[in-house]
Amino acid sequence: MSKDSEVIVRTEHLTKRFGHLVAVEDLNLEIHQGEVFGFLGPNGAGKTTTIGMMLGLIEPTAGRVEVFGLDVRNNLASILPRVGVLMENPSFYPYLSAWDNLHLFARVTGGVTNDRIKQVLEIVELSGRARDKFKTYSLGMKQRLGIACALLHDPEFIILDEPTTGLDPAGMKEVRDLTIRLGQEGKTILLSSHRLHEVEQVCEHVAIIKQGRMIAQGMVNDLLKRGGMLQLRVTEPDRAMAVLQEPSWISSLTREGDLLLLGVSVERAAEVSALLAKNGIFVSEMKTRENTLESFFLEVTEEG
Amino acid sequence: MVRLVRVELFKVRKRGMTWILLAVLVAFFCMIFLGMYAAAGSAPHGMPGAGLEALKASLQFPNAFDMIFSTAQGIGGILLVILAASAVGNEYGWGTVRQMLSKRGIRSHYLGAKIVSLIIIALIGIAISLIVGFALASFTTIQLAGSINWDFMSASYVGELFKMFGWTAFALLVYILLGVLFAVVGRSALVGIAVGLGYYFVERIAIGIFTGAGGWLAEIPNYLIGQNINALMPGNQLGGPFMTTSTLPSLLHASVTLAVYCLVFLALSLYLFQKRDLTA
Repeated sequence: MSKDSEVIVRTEHLTKRFGHLVAVEDLNLEIHQGEVFGFLGPNGAGKTTTIGMMLGLIEPTAGRVEVFGLDVRNNLASILPRVGVLMENPSFYPYLSAWDNLHLFARVTGGVTNDRIKQVLEIVELSGRARDKFKTYSLGMKQRLGIACALLHDPEFIILDEPTTGLDPAGMKEVRDLTIRLGQEGKTILLSSHRLHEVEQVCEHVAIIKQGRMIAQGMVNDLLKRGGMLQLRVTEPDRAMAVLQEPSWISSLTREGDLLLLGVSVERAAEVSALLAKNGIFVSEMKTRENTLESFFLEVTEEG
Repeated sequence: MVRLVRVELFKVRKRGMTWILLAVLVAFFCMIFLGMYAAAGSAPHGMPGAGLEALKASLQFPNAFDMIFSTAQGIGGILLVILAASAVGNEYGWGTVRQMLSKRGIRSHYLGAKIVSLIIIALIGIAISLIVGFALASFTTIQLAGSINWDFMSASYVGELFKMFGWTAFALLVYILLGVLFAVVGRSALVGIAVGLGYYFVERIAIGIFTGAGGWLAEIPNYLIGQNINALMPGNQLGGPFMTTSTLPSLLHASVTLAVYCLVFLALSLYLFQKRDLTA
């Protein structure tokens, strides 16, 4: 996605403290139009707090959030009709049916027809249970109703906070497919999830936060390259281990039998080869080991 | 705002609790009127003649109207504290307050719509009380006097009835705002109900204690909610275990004091609701 495309969300030095607890610290984030943006972090990293600040539910201690170029602090009435949100643990009126709940939220938003309510219920496959009370729903059905509610007014920007919680594998796949389809339709999506596999499949961009601080941000492919491993087979593995301890640009070095695994970007492969050759060690095999978002995530979140 | 009020009324209408509270209101009316009628009919041992006559008069038109409004205010106050605290506090418990505000972010509109809808429900409650009370008072009047004499019904009396309706609604507004405030403070229906009802009952005991203590302490009840409501409602001045009618404040004092309570409760509720974060 071009950096010239419209910025849908921008946070600048966003900080939130609850007493002594720093939930989000100096967070700078940009989500561009049409992006499917993954928002990752361990539990308690500050993802839901950040989303709360985007929606005006939580007041930042410092910094600011802009959505559609408007400061959230003073423009919620203009911003929210263009945003659809699936909260973590979807919340509805337990004594109302799915239909009544959606009807109620449709009235709050305005401009939503009964046909649209039917349509979103069909999308999430709840048409058959539309007249049943919310309190009788399983966790997966509640989650699907949450997605229906987020899509109700056909928003431009959709926030999905842990959308597959409680869903069975088939349901998870449906939500993934739906997210991809919405992305293809040009919607901007913020997907907050701890399921890295899901984010890897769906998102082009990701941001990873830990203890409220941004620790990595960028295109998924770039991050995977950045966190990639070089796999080497050399003539003298013991001496090669000693030689490769020296450079500071090699972040990790491990040995698996005859193989050496180097934590280094692929771009530095030639430098590794030259260094070993200079020390009379020859490389018989060199290849990159593909990183997964999961291993990258664990690597960056476990550092420090 | 009108759209939000309609949404709030939709929620209340669909909620089983609303209909249970309405049934309780009607049941209390029946219990009070029929219980007092039974007491008047069986002439309790030791009841002085004047007391018995006053009891019978309160069950017959036109005095029965005072009792209808007084009962609507007394029972209605308790039921509205429960309804108001639940309407606001349950939204925190269910998490729907975040969902609602993520659809439409203006918090003052959201809380304002809730309060307006509760006022509408209070007005409907008073109207239902009037209908039920009228039916019951017609029965007791016919039983005690043989027929109903409508001579008292004039244009000015109808005006008086409207005034009584207004005072009752005003008295109930204080309890609505009390329930709303403590549900917002505690972010819970339970806190709103407990503090609202706790205040309602403890204040009655406190009024009796302060009045009995005399001196400057006897002045304190004049600034409490219950005593000022009693000053507005003629039916409340019939007496009771903690009631001293001689110390009731003037109508002007009562209405100004209650208006100040309403404004303080409303301002605090809006301020807290506006300022606080809505975390998961």
